Amino acid sequence: MNEILSGILEMTGFAQIDWGIVLMWVIAFVLLYLGIFKEYEPLLLVPIGFGVLLANLPGAGMGIVDNTLVMNPDGSYMTLIDIANNYGILNFLYYALIKTGFLPPIIFMGVGALTDFGPMLRNLKLAYFGAAAQVGIFTVLIGAVLVGFTLPEAASLGIIGGADGPTAIYTTIKLAPHLLGPIAIAAYSYMALVPVIIPLVAKLLMTKNEFKIHMRKMDREYPPKHEIKHMRVVKIAFPIVLGLIVSVLVPSAAPLVGMLLFGNLIKEIGPNTARLADAASGPIMNTATIFLGLTVGATMTSEVFLNLQTIGIIVGGFLAFCLSVAGGILGVKIYNQFSKKKINPLVGATGLSAVPMASRVANELALKYDKSNHILQYCMSSNVSGVIGSAVAAGVLISFLG
Amino acid sequence: MDSLNQALGLLLIGMITVFIVLWLVTVIGTSVIELSNRFYHPKAKDNDAPPTGGVDKEKMAVIVAAVNVLTNGKGVVDSVEKK
Repeated sequence: MNEILSGILEMTGFAQIDWGIVLMWVIAFVLLYLGIFKEYEPLLLVPIGFGVLLANLPGAGMGIVDNTLVMNPDGSYMTLIDIANNYGILNFLYYALIKTGFLPPIIFMGVGALTDFGPMLRNLKLAYFGAAAQVGIFTVLIGAVLVGFTLPEAASLGIIGGADGPTAIYTTIKLAPHLLGPIAIAAYSYMALVPVIIPLVAKLLMTKNEFKIHMRKMDREYPPKHEIKHMRVVKIAFPIVLGLIVSVLVPSAAPLVGMLLFGNLIKEIGPNTARLADAASGPIMNTATIFLGLTVGATMTSEVFLNLQTIGIIVGGFLAFCLSVAGGILGVKIYNQFSKKKINPLVGATGLSAVPMASRVANELALKYDKSNHILQYCMSSNVSGVIGSAVAAGVLISFLG
Repeated sequence: MDSLNQALGLLLIGMITVFIVLWLVTVIGTSVIELSNRFYHPKAKDNDAPPTGGVDKEKMAVIVAAVNVLTNGKGVVDSVEKK
């Protein structure tokens, strides 16, 4: 009887449950709770949370295995069919779609098809603050090196400060794939916490008068130099020229920036390519998001996730995020010292990516201090340039450390 | 120490590159705007506009846009009549 019972126990997964697996279930449930009930980035946290759950089903073998296990003795990778046969469908998806760096640029194409460069073209000067807000990436990189991370690991950790999930994932795949799970979780969790982090940092660094800087009044006093007579033509030409020049300047950023601008181009052309834009921003992006979320979640097995490095990533990611917001705000404050036309520092706070949530949060914050101060379109300018800025920062890190 | 020096170098190179690229964004944006303002002259559409039959211009624009979307740009509004 005992033998039968122990046989049954071994057949089920109960015998393999340990505290690490239980802890990972708790983490999975927290992610699912945040996604489903708190509505924090549900499109990502739900697949990631479920991926964590799948990866930690005892005996199911659904977690992503280390890449040494999918290598042949001669150092080449197994075929995808062998990977699927030996390690299951999630490993097949991971090594086909994530390890190759395929999905983040595909998601960027969808983001491009949903992005409107109009606000940035109307307020081109504000694009500079998208650069100031990348400072968190590089400062945390230095901090992470000081506490013992290797340079590629530190770069992958710092890129969380770009507040751009696909960019963080793409950089980590290229530089430190063993940290993909915790970095993706940190990046998306902090993006979900933008409504908390931006007000927190802004209130620490800004005065009441700065919150009240009225962007439209400033525009009336100091009108922009360039009038755009043919917005559609400009919107079509802009991604083509920009894509070409940025890709030549930073080739390693081309997969992200190129796909972002391609997505934007097919949107801006209008009805003739509307079907492509709809596909890029709809079915393709949604499919990519499902596979990305599930496979990233499945990298988080208890052996990989439960260690001190993960805690370092969670803390470092938060710092990177806060420093990027602070960098944007301080960039505007410095600019205001030398310019007659003042800019609301909240515009700088949105220089990190997280489009359009960061802009919405900054707009609501400005409206709390002055109900007529709508700064959304100004924030969108630095916000969109922040997407380009973080992709370029990723390109620099990959080309030097990849 | 070597890693720290390299990290400081990356801070410098990374921030400068990002600034240069976003400077290029402003330069390209401004140039495209200037060039389109100067050299792009769309065909005058007033003569081609369909008879509006008393419908005001804003409503007409909405109708044309709706037809454009529904027909994927292939449909043309010939005329609009008020009953």
